[in-house]
Amino acid sequence: MATSKERSFRARRLFLDRLAHGVVSTSGFLIIASILAILFVIAAQVLPLLRRPTAQREPTLSSSVESPVLRTGSGEYRELFYSVTRSGVSIHRAADNTALPTGRDMDWGGATVTAVSQGLGDTFVLGLSDGRIVPATVSFSARFADGQRIVHADRVYQEAFREMGVTSIAIIAHAPTPRGQLIAIPTGPRSLRILNIEETETLLGDVSRELFRRDVEVEVKGAITALAVGHHGDLIIVGTSSGEIAEINLQDNDRTPRQSPPIRAERDARAITALGFLLGDRTLVVGTASGQVSTWQLLARDGAASLVKMHDFEPQRGSISAIAASPRNKGFVTASDEGDLYVRYGTTGRTLLKRSADEALAAVAFAPKGDGLVAGSPSGNLHRWTLNNPHPEITWKSLFGKVWYEGYNAPAYVWQSSGGTDEFEPKFSLTPLVFGTLKGTFYALLFAIPIALLGALYASQFMHPALKNLIKPVVELMAALPSVVLGFIAGIWLAPLMAQHMPALLLMPFVIAAVILAAVWAWHRAPVAARSRVRAGGELFLLAPAVLFGGWLSLQLGQAAESGLLSGDFRQWLLATFGLTFDQRNSMVVGFAMGFAVVPIIFTIAEDALAGVPPHLKAGALSLGATPWQTAVRVVLPTASPGIFSAIMIGFGRAVGETMIVLMATGNTPIMDASIFNGFRALSANIAVELPEAPEGGTLYRVLFLAALLLLAMTFVANTLAEWVRLHLRRRYQVL
Amino acid sequence: MKSWKPGDSFIWLSGGALALALLMVFGLIALVVVNGASFFWPRDVEQFQLNDGRVVLGEITAREKIPQPNASHAPATHRIQIKRGNRDLYGTDFIWLNETDIQNTTAPRNALVIERVEWGNFYGIFQRLEIGGQTVSNDWKFVRARLARARKLTAQIHTVSRKDIGAINRAQERLRRELKRSESAELRADYAALQAQYQEQLATLASLRGQLTDVLVVSAAGHPEVRIPLADVVRMNHPNAMTAWRKCCFYAEKLWEFVSAEPRESNTEGGVFPAIYGTVLLVLLMSLIVTPLGVLAALYLREYARQGPIISAVRIAVNNLAGVPSIVYGVFGVAFFIYLGGGTIDQAFFSDRLPTPTFGTGGLLWASLTLALLTLPVVIVATEEGLAAIPPSTRAGALALGATKFETTWRVVLPAVTPAVLTGLILAMARAAGEVAPLMITGVVKLAPALPLDGVFPYLHLDRKFMHLGFHIYDVGFQSPNVDAARPMVYTTTILLLAVVLAFNLTAISIRARLRKKYSSTHL
Repeated sequence: MATSKERSFRARRLFLDRLAHGVVSTSGFLIIASILAILFVIAAQVLPLLRRPTAQREPTLSSSVESPVLRTGSGEYRELFYSVTRSGVSIHRAADNTALPTGRDMDWGGATVTAVSQGLGDTFVLGLSDGRIVPATVSFSARFADGQRIVHADRVYQEAFREMGVTSIAIIAHAPTPRGQLIAIPTGPRSLRILNIEETETLLGDVSRELFRRDVEVEVKGAITALAVGHHGDLIIVGTSSGEIAEINLQDNDRTPRQSPPIRAERDARAITALGFLLGDRTLVVGTASGQVSTWQLLARDGAASLVKMHDFEPQRGSISAIAASPRNKGFVTASDEGDLYVRYGTTGRTLLKRSADEALAAVAFAPKGDGLVAGSPSGNLHRWTLNNPHPEITWKSLFGKVWYEGYNAPAYVWQSSGGTDEFEPKFSLTPLVFGTLKGTFYALLFAIPIALLGALYASQFMHPALKNLIKPVVELMAALPSVVLGFIAGIWLAPLMAQHMPALLLMPFVIAAVILAAVWAWHRAPVAARSRVRAGGELFLLAPAVLFGGWLSLQLGQAAESGLLSGDFRQWLLATFGLTFDQRNSMVVGFAMGFAVVPIIFTIAEDALAGVPPHLKAGALSLGATPWQTAVRVVLPTASPGIFSAIMIGFGRAVGETMIVLMATGNTPIMDASIFNGFRALSANIAVELPEAPEGGTLYRVLFLAALLLLAMTFVANTLAEWVRLHLRRRYQVL
Repeated sequence: MKSWKPGDSFIWLSGGALALALLMVFGLIALVVVNGASFFWPRDVEQFQLNDGRVVLGEITAREKIPQPNASHAPATHRIQIKRGNRDLYGTDFIWLNETDIQNTTAPRNALVIERVEWGNFYGIFQRLEIGGQTVSNDWKFVRARLARARKLTAQIHTVSRKDIGAINRAQERLRRELKRSESAELRADYAALQAQYQEQLATLASLRGQLTDVLVVSAAGHPEVRIPLADVVRMNHPNAMTAWRKCCFYAEKLWEFVSAEPRESNTEGGVFPAIYGTVLLVLLMSLIVTPLGVLAALYLREYARQGPIISAVRIAVNNLAGVPSIVYGVFGVAFFIYLGGGTIDQAFFSDRLPTPTFGTGGLLWASLTLALLTLPVVIVATEEGLAAIPPSTRAGALALGATKFETTWRVVLPAVTPAVLTGLILAMARAAGEVAPLMITGVVKLAPALPLDGVFPYLHLDRKFMHLGFHIYDVGFQSPNVDAARPMVYTTTILLLAVVLAFNLTAISIRARLRKKYSSTHL
């Protein structure tokens, strides 16, 4: 009979047991689940890249007086909006849909605004029905009082001026120049007047204006219907009623402007209705009366600059009435007189978003932060949307395909994540990085596989076990060498050395093999008494000097070859004969260093597989008269081949993810060139270099996570394959 | 042994591959040791009289053949690289001389090498010592005594400016934050008192600095009078006049400085103490995290979970995780620990410091958590192997005697598996000590202003950024503005890192070897 004390003791034991069971099971499960969750956490960071942009309609601002909106825009916080109508610039508050009182009005003299050109920020040039030209600005300021933001808008008309012979202005374009601004207006169907206003500040602080006038005849078909001034007033783009566009180059101030041959923008030859430049003034957007939209850029081809089409965008209903570029990126929005609003992206050629305003639109603009849209209609309404468009530049094609970037002659794979200015077009092609990773891995495996497999074969088949037990830990130590050490040695010591002895290195494998063969020959002529004292595998100690001697010999031969055959300079010879350039930190250095890191991994796993081949197979082969080498190659190697495959896969996985070596031993230039004498940039090194600089949640940040996901996927597939094959092999050995 | 067999040469070739691999390992270690260990040995300073009349004083650091692409049959000529120091005078530390340009070489016994706080070494000839503008003495013994005094004063200045003023600054910073929350006269008064203390300390500093008026007047080629404040001198020697014993002492002194002092001159001189400290602390923290997690997970997998296809799949996945690139773990750490975990902690506890992040940026805690995750598979796999090696009869015995499963696990299985856990842990530590890539994005810096563990409450600053030996190698070797001068330093740091990693690994290998022997005997 158990006493109550015993019973409570047992109860406590059982309780403890159950508790331990619960604790171990749940925590063990949680730990394993959480490390497996790595994949999902990384994927969750990548996912927003693929999300489509969204736009939310906001209440429309309607004006009491029906006056067509020619231009529109908004303040930074999208609390105030402005519109340019026939009667000038007016400002509206979104909160209560009222027009705000603005600064001093000007003397319109019965004239109305008939044309508007918008420059950087909120500067305008208005063209009036009486031929006058009025520069104007709208400026927003915000101040904080009692934790409240109070936004204030100010409108200023500058002094108007009248142009001789101009009666009414229907089209106007302008752009700021380094010293003032440049304004272009048509004075006839095919004639342009170009006004160059130079502002100089006198010592007293007054601004004096000087005006230079040029009249240009444009050789195009049809009449001028659209104008755009770009590149800080260096060029004018003309669009015509016959659907042609032409560039007028003003770069040389003193010479007469040069005009490029006109090009028909679209096959249907409908009139060009809108022209505009994307942020940075390098890409031209062309909209036609048939609703077609395309982007163009000026490229130097055959010695002369000509307009080249980059992308055709999805056409819209109606005729394109307005184009507005995003102030943040290479995006733009086009509006049509059927009331459709399409948000598009210049780099990718993709239409991101379509919205309709239910009435014709005449003006459109992005909010200054790129987080809103405002469009004005001929009836005087301002339609508004909030825009959520965090990663417009990312498509599968822009990540992995060829993309035609600004300033490039053709579509290309480019990784260049950040530039000096806000106008920089980010280039997020992962292809050169994947290429770099695979290139590095290829050269590393090229170096590592022969050494590791031959070494493993030797250690497992021809070496005395006692010696093998000594050698294996040394190889394991090799695996433990920190990659930063390998990278440092490769980058600082090996790279300059290899650059000096390139021909010797290329000779080395053959010379060393020849020296070893010579050593074998000599060994077999040695007295039997001496030979029999060395036990199996002891050849290694004879081989080490042979390898060293081979290395030395190839250095000598290499030098002789360089001065004798390659006219003394390997790099010159390489460039002259094969057209290959030579980087000091090249793929060969990486192949050596990363191969060094991979050799022990492949060696250990392959050795295990080879040593695990059932001995009776070997005994059978040997007893049938096969030589040890024949047994090793014809019996052992095929039996263990799955294990060797698995070893190579694991080595591949290690090389793919290796970071420090590729970071330190390559030049990290993201080029796509398979030459062994050039460097590359790998996915892993790219992450290490760029992630600390990438703002959280930004496009670069998420693209780097995608790079990590790619690495994870590559290694996971390789490792799983290896593991599966290994398990399979173990079962096979059990059967044999 | 029979003579020639077909295929013998292939056997030898495969042996050659193995020999090559082994040679590479030993060659690499030898390269690092030779380059690193010779750095602190005081080398002779030589004076080179050039044909054009110039004189160069310095140490020979390298010699190489001059490449002659067009005249391949001419006799080879060499050039030597001299470390002549005096960067403030000549702009660079190093100069290349063609051997044919050198008229003669001497080793003047009075050649003086001064290690300075700034501008690297000075090579020259001692002239005199001035105190407060007055020439006082040419006696070298006296100069040495003054140098010892100057070093002591500098150390005092360091203590005042770092410790005392630092404490005041921290207290002020705390008060400022409290003031931001709620205005109070009491706090204002405290603040003013601290400000007064601060002024007092500044006065102390000024008086200490005022005592440092010694100026060493030395000469170098082309500069007959160079004035070096004694406060800027770390140590000075006449290497050509040193005895072997003195050289050994010098070597030991430099070695001690290397492991115990803080770095100078953007990490190219001085010591690597903060990096050693950071590495050790990081590895210890990681071990504290990874051991319980790894053992629990392995116990679950091997002892508690029902074996089946799912557990096999999980096992394969865990094995796989050991092969996932370390940078991927770093990326995970950035997203999960730093921005999610750290961001949440900042919102909850340090909102008064925002937008300056406290935990929402890289730091010791996040780096060690990332490394723990990285090494978790290593520990799990090692522990599981250990568990699998314990004969089932051992467990059955315990259970048959009436022990519960928990008691069997706790009293029988765990003690038996401890060596295996230890092996895994040591391997994990070795991996963590050598890993750099994930640290680069989770909190390692080239120069940390303060150690992560110090005498200031709460003593262990998990949010601080830290230095690391591996990253030190990368940074000094590749990001340093003066790579030539920094290179020996990197080799020395590499020796240190290699020694740590190899020691860990050798320990693990020897434990494992003993374990294997033990289990193979119990099986029989």
